[in-house]
Amino acid sequence: MLLAVLITNSEGNILVERFNGVPGEERLHWRSFLVKLGADNLKGVKNEELCVASHKSVYIVYTVLGHVSIYLVGKDEYDELALSEAIFVVTSAIKDVCGKPPTERLFLDKYGRICLCLDEIVWKGLLENTDKDRIKRLVRLKPPTEF
Amino acid sequence: MAQFVKKDDDRDEEEYSPFLGIEKGSVLQEARVFNDPQLDSRRCSQVITKLLYLLNQGETFTKVEATEVFFAVTKLFQSKDIGLRRMVYLIIKELSPSSDEVIIVTSSLMKDMNSKTDVYRANAIRVLCRITDGTLLTQIERYLKQAIVDKNPVVASAALVSGIHLLQTNPEIVKRWSNEVQEAVQSRAALVQFHALALLHQIRQNDRLAVSKLVTSLTRGTVRSPLAQCLLIRYTSQVIRESSMNNQSGDRPFYDYLEGCLRHKAEMVIFEAARAITELNGVTSRELTPAITVLQLFLSSSKPVLRFAAVRTLNKVAMTHPMAVTNCNIDMESLISDQNRSIATLAITTLLKTGNESGVDRLMKQITNFMSDIADEFKIVVVDAIRSLCLKFPLKYRSLMNFLSNILREEGGFEYKKAIVDSIVILIRDIPDAKESGLLHLCEFIEDCEFTYLSTQILHFLGVEGPKTSDPSKYIRYIYNRVILENATVRASAVSTLAKFGAMVDSLKPRIFILLRRCLYDNDDEVRDRATLYLNTLGGDGSVVETDKDVKDFLFGSLDIPLVNLETSLKNYEPTEEQFDISSVPKEVKSQPLAEKKSAGKKPTALGAPPAAPTSTVDAYEKLLSSIPEFSTFGQLFKSSAPVELTEAETEYAVNVVKHIFDKHVVFQYNCTNTIPEQLLENVIVVVDASEAEEFAEVATKPLKALPYDTPGQTFVAFEKQEGVLAVGRFSNELKFIVKEVDPSTGEAEEDGVEDEYQLEDSEIVAADYMLKVGVSNFRNAWESLGPDFERIDEYGLGPRESLSEAVNAVINLLGMQPCEGTEVVAANSRSHSCLLSGVYIGNVKVLVRLSFGVDSSKEVAMKLAVRSEDESVSDAIHEIVAN
Repeated sequence: MLLAVLITNSEGNILVERFNGVPGEERLHWRSFLVKLGADNLKGVKNEELCVASHKSVYIVYTVLGHVSIYLVGKDEYDELALSEAIFVVTSAIKDVCGKPPTERLFLDKYGRICLCLDEIVWKGLLENTDKDRIKRLVRLKPPTEF
Repeated sequence: MAQFVKKDDDRDEEEYSPFLGIEKGSVLQEARVFNDPQLDSRRCSQVITKLLYLLNQGETFTKVEATEVFFAVTKLFQSKDIGLRRMVYLIIKELSPSSDEVIIVTSSLMKDMNSKTDVYRANAIRVLCRITDGTLLTQIERYLKQAIVDKNPVVASAALVSGIHLLQTNPEIVKRWSNEVQEAVQSRAALVQFHALALLHQIRQNDRLAVSKLVTSLTRGTVRSPLAQCLLIRYTSQVIRESSMNNQSGDRPFYDYLEGCLRHKAEMVIFEAARAITELNGVTSRELTPAITVLQLFLSSSKPVLRFAAVRTLNKVAMTHPMAVTNCNIDMESLISDQNRSIATLAITTLLKTGNESGVDRLMKQITNFMSDIADEFKIVVVDAIRSLCLKFPLKYRSLMNFLSNILREEGGFEYKKAIVDSIVILIRDIPDAKESGLLHLCEFIEDCEFTYLSTQILHFLGVEGPKTSDPSKYIRYIYNRVILENATVRASAVSTLAKFGAMVDSLKPRIFILLRRCLYDNDDEVRDRATLYLNTLGGDGSVVETDKDVKDFLFGSLDIPLVNLETSLKNYEPTEEQFDISSVPKEVKSQPLAEKKSAGKKPTALGAPPAAPTSTVDAYEKLLSSIPEFSTFGQLFKSSAPVELTEAETEYAVNVVKHIFDKHVVFQYNCTNTIPEQLLENVIVVVDASEAEEFAEVATKPLKALPYDTPGQTFVAFEKQEGVLAVGRFSNELKFIVKEVDPSTGEAEEDGVEDEYQLEDSEIVAADYMLKVGVSNFRNAWESLGPDFERIDEYGLGPRESLSEAVNAVINLLGMQPCEGTEVVAANSRSHSCLLSGVYIGNVKVLVRLSFGVDSSKEVAMKLAVRSEDESVSDAIHEIVAN
């Protein structure tokens, strides 16, 4: 299960927060844990360079894209490798929507479209689509080209 | 929480947020544009984005707000704007309307589901499946089955992923799709195959033969995506685990396939295969080698994720096959300086498991630099690993002990310090040569130790080990310093330790006496009392004599009684003329019951929540019962019921009963309260008539000596029953006592009393009393790991019922089991329901139950009951409970 997708600005303020199968009372804990993890480790990290951590039986893969930080949390079959596959899809989709690694302003300007992309990529904790071109078409309700 | 303020609180003029100053109330106002006769699609999309922004920040809508927005959003189906429609699908899913509201969109969604535009169909499927209940699902099932085999991969994937979600709530329906899913597994679209494979496996996971066939056919065919390949590897190792018992010829089935995957181009697949190989049961070094080789290559990868994955896997292998990992030691050593602390810690702990004796010193040097910049939780892992290493190479104790003493002096929290102290104590015990240096390290530590608990532990340990060393006198200074410098608890411990030295080392005795006499003037009475006691027992007030055996036994002998038992007995002791008798305290130590058993040879389900631990009330009951000599032979307490009231509210005497179930006994604990200030009750007992409970024989009664006003007390009655028999019955109860008048002004009771009795309600022992509610973290895995060997399935007619929900609850209560995964909730108006139950039956036998209910138009309920347990007779017993 992909437990969480969290996107923050560079100061750690939440931009997008989507949890799956995480009880309400644990969400705040996860949020502060992830933000601290990013604050400790994301300084000087290049765009899309992946960082990894594990906490109890849960894996976390996170990275920086422009002025936003992206965190994915998973367990069981969503281990560090599956998460890096998923975060790659998320970063490429965001880059695609924004045209470049986004500033915070650009990210918020494209907020609706980014939500749609995330909706195509992760559905209730399962990875659904992984191809950025297809995602790009799907959020505009265009059929995929390749079939 | 300042760091979590919403972005709009940042007042940055140049880069202000489009959501600046956003407020739920005003956005909800804005949502009224959805109701406009002339829809402005752009504006509507903007409002939906704002709603999404709020929801994504953790904002919640009240039921009324959500309903209002939801109904307004449904109006947007009128718009032809494609972008807006896509947003509408998303916001409906996010609002997750309740089952009585969804009806308003179902027709629109059904229309979209049959649309010629594929992407409408895909989205409509996803939304419908998100908001659907069982009844609606039956209506759309036909379309979903078609969608699974749709030529458009987006539609097929949407239906398959929906299927994976729906399998949790409506397994019976989804299982009917297996033919279509089977077809989709052969799809040329990579992701369709991935989703189909996942769903098919979930549908068939209890059918070993089917899974084996699936694996056989796919390992020979083509798998189109790395994700699907990973799933296949996982299922393959499951088949290998289950078939290894049958195959003793030496060739492991599918090993070649796994080994082939090590050369796959996707890293994800290589890792999955390597992990699968390293986790094989009884894996040989020949089988391990290729997997270890690829993992070793990844240790020097430039990507942290790959390094982490490799070192994590090798760390696991090192626990079982340390020799296989030694080849990677050089690469692993370079990871000690890895920027990522998780990787570095894993590398160090692996090295500590695999390192050889000659490399220990070099390794310790490297670790020393590393320790200063990691968190305590990582440090504890390292300390544990060092302890194991030291026990493995006792000759290296010097450098390892030095390392431990160095880190003991550095900053650190209690848990970390305790781990170090525990490790040093273990090394002192197990390696005789390490004793003297270890004790001195501990002595130095207590000179500047901020944790009272650790100081007292160390002082106690010094008292036991110090006198046996070659020069005990050198420790005295450290101990006496505690008497001068520390708090009362530590001072008292230090006095005891001094006395032990005095008792064991005759030459030190006169000097110890001097020190102990100084303690007679301590300002804490415990310290003074101890000093007085020891001076007297050791003969410190007179001539110096050799300490006799009794004194040594007194000082060094253990109490021989579990402290918890003594505590409970003392609490229960009622001050009378009879003295407290320490020999009446039971010595049996109660172990923690109910550890979830893991069946051997099967992969533990792990990763989920731990099994529900017995509650603290049960622990309290257990202690209470074991402190009563009459019941101390009954063995381990299996279950205690919740209190059942035996009197009406606001009567003279309030009595409730708690039923304690043991393997061969049942104890009724009657909790009594006297609510009349003018009365004192004495010799309170409950007379139980068990004529309607023939399988029970009364064996013991424990009366309550006195029951004063408003001070609850307990009386007990114990019954014997045959072990392994599900004995049930009804017991009638009557309270008997001697009542004495109390003078309210003085509170004194009259001397003479009158015998009286008071009728109580009946109590019952029912089948559910023999069952503990113990949940499982993952029902499906638990069900599978129990296996079909002792499965019993049968069908029952439950007759006409008020509702399906009522029938489901009745069966849950009858069995007394824990409903899992929220399956106790029946959707309104649904005609069928599946319920999963889990529990532990008396004798600590794990039981799982799958219930399938159906109701017809005349409200007749039929039920299918499938039971799996660790014991055949228990599976049968569950059926008997229902049948009766």
